[in-house]
Amino acid sequence: MYEEPYRWVEAVGNRRQYLDEQFKQGSPVVALTYEGGILLTTVSKGTAKLYEIYDRLALGGMGHPTDLEKLRFSLLEMAHVEGFNRSPSDVTGSRLVKYGIAPVIKQAFEEVYKAPFIVRILVAELGVKPEKDALLTINYDGTFEESIGCAVLAATPAAQTKMTAYLKEQTPATLSLEQALDLALRAWAIGSLAHQQEETDQQAESEPSAGKVSAVSAPVPSAEVLMAHVRGIAGGRTLDCAVLERQVPGTSKYRSLKPSDLAPLLPKSLQSVVAN
Amino acid sequence: MGMQGDFLQLLKEQGYTLGTAASLGNSHTPTNATTILAFKYRDGVLVAGDRRATAGNMVMYDRTDKVLEIDRHSVMAIAGVPATAYEMVRVLEHSFKYYRRTQLQELSFDGKLRAISKLLKDNVPAALAGTGAVVPVFAGYDLEQGSAKIYFYDILGAEFEGVEYAVSGSGSPTIRGILHYLNTWGDQPLNRLPEEQAMVQALRLLTSAAEFDSATGGVNREASLYPVIKLITGAGVQTVPDATLKPLYESQVVRYV
Repeated sequence: MYEEPYRWVEAVGNRRQYLDEQFKQGSPVVALTYEGGILLTTVSKGTAKLYEIYDRLALGGMGHPTDLEKLRFSLLEMAHVEGFNRSPSDVTGSRLVKYGIAPVIKQAFEEVYKAPFIVRILVAELGVKPEKDALLTINYDGTFEESIGCAVLAATPAAQTKMTAYLKEQTPATLSLEQALDLALRAWAIGSLAHQQEETDQQAESEPSAGKVSAVSAPVPSAEVLMAHVRGIAGGRTLDCAVLERQVPGTSKYRSLKPSDLAPLLPKSLQSVVAN
Repeated sequence: MGMQGDFLQLLKEQGYTLGTAASLGNSHTPTNATTILAFKYRDGVLVAGDRRATAGNMVMYDRTDKVLEIDRHSVMAIAGVPATAYEMVRVLEHSFKYYRRTQLQELSFDGKLRAISKLLKDNVPAALAGTGAVVPVFAGYDLEQGSAKIYFYDILGAEFEGVEYAVSGSGSPTIRGILHYLNTWGDQPLNRLPEEQAMVQALRLLTSAAEFDSATGGVNREASLYPVIKLITGAGVQTVPDATLKPLYESQVVRYV
């Protein structure tokens, strides 16, 4: 029945709805450039969501772990084969995304008889010079976006817009790693809160007598409120942070930050999160 | 294949082969790189190599780097045909990284040794045909056990552990004897030498090899040409700069008789 064009459009529409549902439990991912490179941050429930792809490439993801693994492996495979056959400087995030995985994700999304990839992906690429740093995000339908300075993944487009707006508003010219981590966590909290708010709004719509403040018009909470939210959620989960560092010796620039690396960087109110 | 994190297998699936058994024409003499050594000293392991590459009795190049860093904690020094050796190092470098990134853990030290054996085994046809014989020394710091280790290989891929030291290349017979003598009857065994003394010994050993082997390049002060010396400790691989080697050479290696 999907052969008819109308049916196909309808099926793809259903698919979007289904996929949007799948990200509801997901934790946002924030990528931010700072003076020494690029910082990636998220909060995970045990399984890491930040990965090393190549010498200067890192990956962050949301969605189904198995789908994410599948795409991670194809990125790793493409990057290493290209890096070996040509040279490591020919492995670029934009080529891997645009000609590598984005077409695969799009095809899976549009073949309505088959399962789509339940993923949103962020690829961070550390340039030789800071102005060459690049951030790419890919949605579950294969659309990709390139951005400079910061990029985020979130459960809904609305949450994503809020996070990006907050980051753009706060970003001074250059950040130290400590400042970047602080800002990234606040942006993460914005995404996470916006998402909670949307959930309650939806419930409220079904109940006739409900609160009046909607997710869209709610004012941006203060830094203290945001940090309290991070503390509340990260307590039972793992704070995941990774950096791509320009000045580090050797070819591999990726480093995952261990609790002992994070402790001195975090604001005092969050120290307890990494301590346990 | 990604599941196993085997990069060489991935390359092979795409049609890659390492050594081909092309037989050597009469008119061609393959390039060779010679004299490498590794020994354990107080803080880890020292790996050194002269810088000459020869083809028959012709000097091809006097600034070859035969001591190649594979990752933060391991080094492969090569004697034999550089074309094959460099290719092997490239494969190994990518293999270890690919393993680490796919499996989210480092390849074990034993796993790394096995990877080298496998490459040498794949290369046997080329080695026997005379176009691609490589005799490497692999040295590294095993972080799990907290100790430095040295291994050497024959061209067929057999792996031998060099407990205190290992040598390879055309100049190696000369220095193998010296190493044995030093380690047994020297003031102190090699593995107790402090860093500076270890570097002095390495310079003296390579100078001796150059004395008796024309294919080994010694130190050429006029051209500020010093051997490559790398130190591997728990903190990683460190290349000794020429600026450090120069005064050591002038004060403790040169003798005006």
